[in-house]
Amino acid sequence: MDKYECTACGYIYDPAVGDPANGFPAGTRFEDLPDTWVCPQCGVPKDLFVKLG
Amino acid sequence: MKVLIVGNGLAGTLAAKTIRELDDGAEIEIFGEERYPYYPRPNLIEYLAGRLPYDKLFAFPEGWTERQQIGVRLSETISRIRPAERKIETQAGGVRFYDVLLLATGARAALPPVEGIHGPGVFALRTIVDANELIGHLGTHKRVAVLGGGLLGLEAARAIRAREKEVVVVEYFDRLLPRQLDPAAAAILKAQLEKDGIALRLGAVVREILGVGGVQGLRLASGERIEADTVVVAAGIVPEVALAREAGLAVGRGVVVDDQMRTSAPGVFAAGDVCEHRGRIHGFIPAAFEQARTAAYNMAGQEKPYAGTVPLSTLKVAGLFVTSVGEIDAEGEGTEALVRSLPEAGLYKKIVLREGRLVGGIWMGTKRGAAELGRLVAVSKHVGALKKDLLEDDFDLGEIL
Repeated sequence: MDKYECTACGYIYDPAVGDPANGFPAGTRFEDLPDTWVCPQCGVPKDLFVKLG
Repeated sequence: MKVLIVGNGLAGTLAAKTIRELDDGAEIEIFGEERYPYYPRPNLIEYLAGRLPYDKLFAFPEGWTERQQIGVRLSETISRIRPAERKIETQAGGVRFYDVLLLATGARAALPPVEGIHGPGVFALRTIVDANELIGHLGTHKRVAVLGGGLLGLEAARAIRAREKEVVVVEYFDRLLPRQLDPAAAAILKAQLEKDGIALRLGAVVREILGVGGVQGLRLASGERIEADTVVVAAGIVPEVALAREAGLAVGRGVVVDDQMRTSAPGVFAAGDVCEHRGRIHGFIPAAFEQARTAAYNMAGQEKPYAGTVPLSTLKVAGLFVTSVGEIDAEGEGTEALVRSLPEAGLYKKIVLREGRLVGGIWMGTKRGAAELGRLVAVSKHVGALKKDLLEDDFDLGEIL
């Protein structure tokens, strides 16, 4: 599963960790996060993220 | 349509990306003063801590701007803009004409009026150059005084601590994060930071940086001396308005823009840390993002208004999650604040209401509900009878969104 980086603040979404505080458990792929999901660190939308690696 | 953008930071880069999405045929050129491609500024903190290698600073994959057909000129300083002629001039003697221009020149680190602040051993932390110079200096020095106990000061202090250097944060105000936290929350944060080995001096006014040919210490207004061999200045930002001012644009503390991000000169827009909207310099990422998007739409000929960005800060410091949004004190008619506090657990939750609507809050010690709180405040959600329940650990704020 691919990690994604927020190009606004550098936050890295790691699917192995997920975003449990916002209801997305470990194992949630970035691609499966809803379009309304925003960067937990700076609030920008998904389309500002890029795939890492 | 010929689009020129001055500034290769978040606002400039995001505006370019958005215009490209809206207009396939637009010619887009960005001029950046730094010699580095765009990078998310917060990455400098991890870089300073030694946890992020240099090549990982840049976020966008290599070749991204070329693939988007966005021209980027690095190490290019714009010397003048001439809105009446729709042209800009570069320091190297180049001239470019535009249909629309975006000023996204950002801000520089504010230097407080302290004697010795321009001497060696004193660093800002805005750019890669700043970070490299500081990292180099830390190779042979070990006692750092950070001037400023705000967001950047605390993040920088943590990063420097990760390099196993001694750190003292010297803050002018009587509490840390004065704009984001009330006294009670700030006290919890202070206790946590001190547990983590970061010394703090509050209500401390620095008058002089002592030392010849290098830093030897600080002298406070109280007469007290603080030992240090390095100073990091994290005392706010100053918008880079010189180009706009020289061209006669309306400038307050920042370049004045309206709700469409237009400056006082036709065809010239501004976004990000450089601009002043409804009297405010926002100076943080969510605002730069929304302003850049708004500017891009309007530049591309599509009306899109901007009404401001609710201040929102999140940080994790000394293992403590801290979120602050909107108004943090109940001031004025019809406002009230509700608090739930467990200082030993590092927990502090506060919501501020005006006529029953959420206008702000502080969420400390947990991430759960923090993002929802931000969204609820952004829409001034009326919470009525539920208000007390919002502070409970098991209440799902997402339910009332």
